[in-house]
Amino acid sequence: MIDRIAGAVIFMISAAAFWVARDYEASFGDPLGPAIFPQMVAAAAAILSIGLILRPDPNPKAQPLHAFIRQAMTLGVLIGYVLLLEPLGFPLSTMIGTTCLALLFGAERIKAGLTGIAVGISLYLIFDTVLGLPLPLAPARFG
Amino acid sequence: MSYTRNLIAGALLASGLTAVTPLTASAAECIAPADPGGGWDFTCRTVGRLLTELKLQDGSVQVTNMPGGVGAVAFANVAGKRADDGDVLVATSTVGVTQIAQGKYPGGVDVMRWVGMLGTDVGVIVVPADSEYENIGDLLDTLKADPTAVPVAGSSGAGGWDHIRLLMLADAAGMDGDAYKAIRWVQFDGGSPAVTQMLGGQVGAVSTDLGEIAGFVESGDIKILAALSDEPIPAFPDAPTAKSQGFDVTGYNWRGFYTGGDVSDDAYQGWVDELKTLFDTAEWKEAAEANGLITVWRGGDEFEAYVADQAKQMEDISRSIGVIK
Amino acid sequence: MDILTSLLSGFAVAVTPLNLALAVFGCFAGTLIGALPGLGPVNGVAILIPVAFAMNLEPSSALIMLSCIYYGCMYGGRISSIMLNIPGDEPAIMTTLDGYPMARQGQAAKALGISAVASFVGATFATLGLTFFAPLLAKAAIHFGPADYFALYVMAFATIGGVTGVNPFKTLLAAMIGLLLASVGLDPGTGTARFTFGSFHLYDGFDPIVAIVGLFAVSEIIMYFESHAVAGTGPAKLGRVLPKLREVFEGFTASIRGAVIGFICGVLPGAGASLGAFVSYSTEKQISDKHGTFGTGDPRGIAAPEAGNNAASGGALIPMLTLGVPGSGTTAVMLALLVSLNIQPGPLLFERQPDLVWGLIAALYLANVVLLVLNIPMVGLFTRLLSLPQWLLMPIVVMVSFIGIYSISHSTFDLFVMIGFGLLGYALRKFDISLVPVVLGLLLGADMENNLRRALSISGGDFSILLQSPIALVIYGFTALMLAFSFGIAMRRRPAVLDK
Repeated sequence: MIDRIAGAVIFMISAAAFWVARDYEASFGDPLGPAIFPQMVAAAAAILSIGLILRPDPNPKAQPLHAFIRQAMTLGVLIGYVLLLEPLGFPLSTMIGTTCLALLFGAERIKAGLTGIAVGISLYLIFDTVLGLPLPLAPARFG
Repeated sequence: MSYTRNLIAGALLASGLTAVTPLTASAAECIAPADPGGGWDFTCRTVGRLLTELKLQDGSVQVTNMPGGVGAVAFANVAGKRADDGDVLVATSTVGVTQIAQGKYPGGVDVMRWVGMLGTDVGVIVVPADSEYENIGDLLDTLKADPTAVPVAGSSGAGGWDHIRLLMLADAAGMDGDAYKAIRWVQFDGGSPAVTQMLGGQVGAVSTDLGEIAGFVESGDIKILAALSDEPIPAFPDAPTAKSQGFDVTGYNWRGFYTGGDVSDDAYQGWVDELKTLFDTAEWKEAAEANGLITVWRGGDEFEAYVADQAKQMEDISRSIGVIK
Repeated sequence: MDILTSLLSGFAVAVTPLNLALAVFGCFAGTLIGALPGLGPVNGVAILIPVAFAMNLEPSSALIMLSCIYYGCMYGGRISSIMLNIPGDEPAIMTTLDGYPMARQGQAAKALGISAVASFVGATFATLGLTFFAPLLAKAAIHFGPADYFALYVMAFATIGGVTGVNPFKTLLAAMIGLLLASVGLDPGTGTARFTFGSFHLYDGFDPIVAIVGLFAVSEIIMYFESHAVAGTGPAKLGRVLPKLREVFEGFTASIRGAVIGFICGVLPGAGASLGAFVSYSTEKQISDKHGTFGTGDPRGIAAPEAGNNAASGGALIPMLTLGVPGSGTTAVMLALLVSLNIQPGPLLFERQPDLVWGLIAALYLANVVLLVLNIPMVGLFTRLLSLPQWLLMPIVVMVSFIGIYSISHSTFDLFVMIGFGLLGYALRKFDISLVPVVLGLLLGADMENNLRRALSISGGDFSILLQSPIALVIYGFTALMLAFSFGIAMRRRPAVLDK
């Protein structure tokens, strides 16, 4: 069943892509133009997705609720980390992000905190100072 | 392998690596609006390195790569977030101005302050050494008779700077818009790939910057039909300019910098002076020539006016050939 | 004879105590950078160029150090593929197919050992080719036109269905998704913005590294909770820390075949290491997968693509040095490196600057030996990674991936894209759709389309150009053969599959 849903979703996306691509045109100098190739690919994807709808594999096992909650929380931590990266600066946001992730993966609190601090500082040193790839240090930089 | 031992090992590794590279960073930052390895990246890294070596800056100039949208992402970033940050330089070139003129950046040339240009590459039209075409007139005559007769290649897409330079020549030869639009244009990912495909017999001529393909001219594999410069190119004095053959077309691709639009006059003038000092050194001449650039200086107000003028010209050409409506 | 004298003089340049030390440092640093997800060889070399300048090295010494970093990165990319199922760089994606299952079975050391030897075979083969046939091969490669490259990509995608996963429909579908994703961004032919929905951030399309890290690394940590809750599997077994000597030579003949195929792909400037690894793997699978063991930890499934991708990156140096044409992002950075050392690659390089070229070639031999010697004991270091508790390993992997991406692009947008790819990767895994074809589609899609359009630009829209080149016809013939062959194998193997 779930394969059929996936097939339907992919079919709709391919159809949408085919539809959006019809507007792409080259005024001159390019006989094939920017539209044909994506349309060919979208058409192939649509046909294959119909195959998926007609001949689905058996459903995969669903995860238990507690696993699902942790997955959602992990995703939340990742998104929060990206949102806070520039406002808080790299070392601080990385400390928080690493600590949260370590806790989600079942670390003891103290170890998670220590890991966070160590990862935040050492990654900053390695990337910014050693490799010369500038990272935002303090909250002020990007305002 | 205990947890503490891992931490210590990591810290040692970090501090050990730190000791290898005694770099002190200066406040100055050069943004290369492309991935590492391209022309803009080269401009930033070379100028940044020389500014440090010549002690014009204390410590190393940080080079930040900010790829995206042929420079549009860096442009948007500086315009939006760092318009008054006097420590930032952004590398750009004629390609960036072409993008601006065709409305592909979020803003026009007046959004930024244009600091200066340090050198320029020259556009050329080349054919294989054993080609039947002896001069640019031969090639243009053939195209005039049948625009589809010779497929021409370059490193930009249709409507990009390499293509526009070819069309400017066609225009100067008296072809009308419908005729020169029919010329077959093939885009490759750089001047060298275009030239090697020409040597492999896939296309008949190449329009691109000289710098990247100079080696093929020196080795005798290809010949220059026309150099799109006012004066003959110092490295190849025998190569005729388009002007000397009666086609009044020039096509430079300069390398320079802009900074945010709200940067103070002091900071702006500081950059102009610093780059001028850099320009006057033998080190810059050497680095530029190694990359096939001709050293030309324009800075401050003169450069501002030059860029505005070029953008206007580019916009007119783009409109007349139908790249923008 | 001439070549040997030049090579000897090259070794005289390369083998000084300082240069040897730099070679060891470069190999070590390169392996580490290559192993970090998100920082592939492209960025590894680009990042360390200023370090080389800061050390005030002679051009030849800087060149030796940086080419060791380049080769080191190529060696290192496979490590996270095997240990974590996260490719360290683009060409290493094929290595996840058999490397990771082998590591899960407690044979990580063996997998790392096999891949180290295969990498050595591939890279050495390519360096030999570079030494003796560079100008000749470059002359041959320029006759490969857009129509021929297009045929090569058609071959890759036509044979992809048989390469990964159980259900060929899903594999093909995954490849199409990848190809569709590849068309996002500014179209290089005309500058048209496709599927960007007005965002400048999408103008350059999806960076393959961002996609790879998202698809593999981010989806891995989301999947982690589930696989643990459902199947109750612990972390991979550690097994032996160092491989037995005999084991590392398993799949040796596969690595020879992989090296030849990869090298050919490398010499063609439009093909590159990812295609090299892919074609090596799929050919090996067609030839030797008699019992359906590929994809479950077959040594040949590690040896072939590793030899292939290292041979391809070595082979890619040929058009780069002799023509100034970089075949891939990585060689583009090497090109930039040479230029910044005032070395202008191109047809005159071998005449003008023989000392540097032969020094470089000697350095590549050196790098290979150093890497092999260095990598065998390092196997112990890396296998111990698996003994780290998951709560420590997983957050570090995630943070390194995120910051590797951010430090290059300085764009939080890229990080969101990466999380998005993580969700996509999670969904695909749930549906039992292999991730590898998605990445291949994304990596090769733009080149496939561009070459098709170039061919048609040359012919003015006449499709018959695609079949006029004898090279293309040979490739299509070969494709048909491979398809017939794999169809035959599939028919014979069918009962065994049904038993499962």
